[in-house]
Amino acid sequence: MTKDPFQGVGVGLRRPHLAEVAALDQSPVPFWEIAPENVVGQGGRRHRQAMAILERDPVLTHGLSMSLGGFDAWEAEALDNLRAFLKTTRSPWHSEHLCWTSYGGANTMELLPMPFTREAVDHTVERAKRLKGELPVPFLFENVSYYAELGHAEMSEKAFLAEVLEGADCGWLLDINNVYVNSRNHGFDPKEWMEGLPLHRVRQMHIAGHWWDEAEGLVIDTHGAEVVDPVIELFEWVLPRIGRPLPVLLERDNNIPSLAELLAEREKLQAVYDRALAPILTGDGRG
Amino acid sequence: MAERLLALQRTLADLLLDAEGRQAFSEAPEAFAAARGLDAADQQAFVRYRRRLLVYRELVQGALEDPLPDCFPFTHQILDEAGAWTDCVQAFIAARAVQSPYFRDINPTFVAWLAEGGWGKERWPFLLQLAHYEYIELDVLRWPEAPSREGLGDTPGADLRVAFDGAFRNLAYQWRVHESTEEAPVPLEGPAHLVCYRDRDLGFETLEVDPHTSAFLARCLEGQALGEAASGIGLDLPAAQGLLGRLRENGAVLGFS
Repeated sequence: MTKDPFQGVGVGLRRPHLAEVAALDQSPVPFWEIAPENVVGQGGRRHRQAMAILERDPVLTHGLSMSLGGFDAWEAEALDNLRAFLKTTRSPWHSEHLCWTSYGGANTMELLPMPFTREAVDHTVERAKRLKGELPVPFLFENVSYYAELGHAEMSEKAFLAEVLEGADCGWLLDINNVYVNSRNHGFDPKEWMEGLPLHRVRQMHIAGHWWDEAEGLVIDTHGAEVVDPVIELFEWVLPRIGRPLPVLLERDNNIPSLAELLAEREKLQAVYDRALAPILTGDGRG
Repeated sequence: MAERLLALQRTLADLLLDAEGRQAFSEAPEAFAAARGLDAADQQAFVRYRRRLLVYRELVQGALEDPLPDCFPFTHQILDEAGAWTDCVQAFIAARAVQSPYFRDINPTFVAWLAEGGWGKERWPFLLQLAHYEYIELDVLRWPEAPSREGLGDTPGADLRVAFDGAFRNLAYQWRVHESTEEAPVPLEGPAHLVCYRDRDLGFETLEVDPHTSAFLARCLEGQALGEAASGIGLDLPAAQGLLGRLRENGAVLGFS
């Protein structure tokens, strides 16, 4: 029986590593994650390398600019491209962010915060259901970092997330770094926050580093540094509570280190993953 | 329609993208929100999170600017040395021209915005052409490969048409944009007929040709047969055939049919 590749800690496939990874005989990670927006509709040397890797290795897809909570219509061509890419990569699901990125057709290329309001829940649930219907694979969405509330909040971020997850009946990509970043920036207990949410919906996790902006007194979700110990501790805490093996993606989008350094960090997180899930995998724990 | 949600997003988009967004919002966040139809409670949220919402502005401006210096090194150098780069980028962002979901489209959108709006053309008349040429390298390197075509011959016969590779570009500039260097980024005025293509190793190549050859290649790109294209501009056919043979060897031409 073939082992499910979508378990353990994978790595985001990034441009500086393409040539090195493509030259390997086999994948150094259980799986890669890639943003379709960075690959579709291109050609040339690096594109060939990327496609060779995606053909050889298991991959999960993660979108950047569907503007799930926004108003702009999805272009038919962009949806066609995405569907074709999902078919090519055989990704078992596709994920996006619970945010908006564009307004009036103008793309900001940034993950912008949703207002925590009843109206925004209803709007986002409706958009998520429509997007689900457009995709050939299940759809997950990710909890994002947010630095400010957009407008007067009628509910907590936690309630907003839970209501959209349940209303849209979607899987959850739990970004543990975003939980930590938000807990620091908005002053809440991240464990208490997660305990009240539907962890049974978590299908995938993200873990990443961040940056402390001293001038603003704000933690910024940069994906530009190693994962810090408090985030690793949260990661180890939540895995047994999810209670089953699942794919965890180490994100690194800025200050990208060498492949060897990134793989060393992956190994460290894999050891945490194995330790946290050991009681469950050996039938000795809860779940 | 979720009117309040729409108004909240419109307000934040104005703060993030508009050239005067930072100043107007910083000075009076409440009035900024009120002017966009938000009620008192929402206005107060914009007051409460004033500094943090401005962080979003920095993030958005950074995300939209990020790819430009790498793609347009000499354009960036010239404007940066003149203290005008930030103004240029802010005007570009304020135009809200980036509408594609693809990050890669920021660069060609920048060139299209220069072409449509003419930003800086009075002071830097070469700016659009320099930026266009700088983008061409990325355009050629990343152009999607076409499916292989059958029935193409290797010999450029006079009655045959040319099948160019999709990444082939036949360009004419009024400035010597391909001669810019870090030491002398401002191009000299003068015609430059350039052929750009992706070679067989998938690298970028530029070849300067004379105006006649450029006109000949333009006719070939329009679908004229070699002999017809050459005679139309009085070009020596064997020389044209020699050029096309070399372009085929280099990967710029797929073949002849």
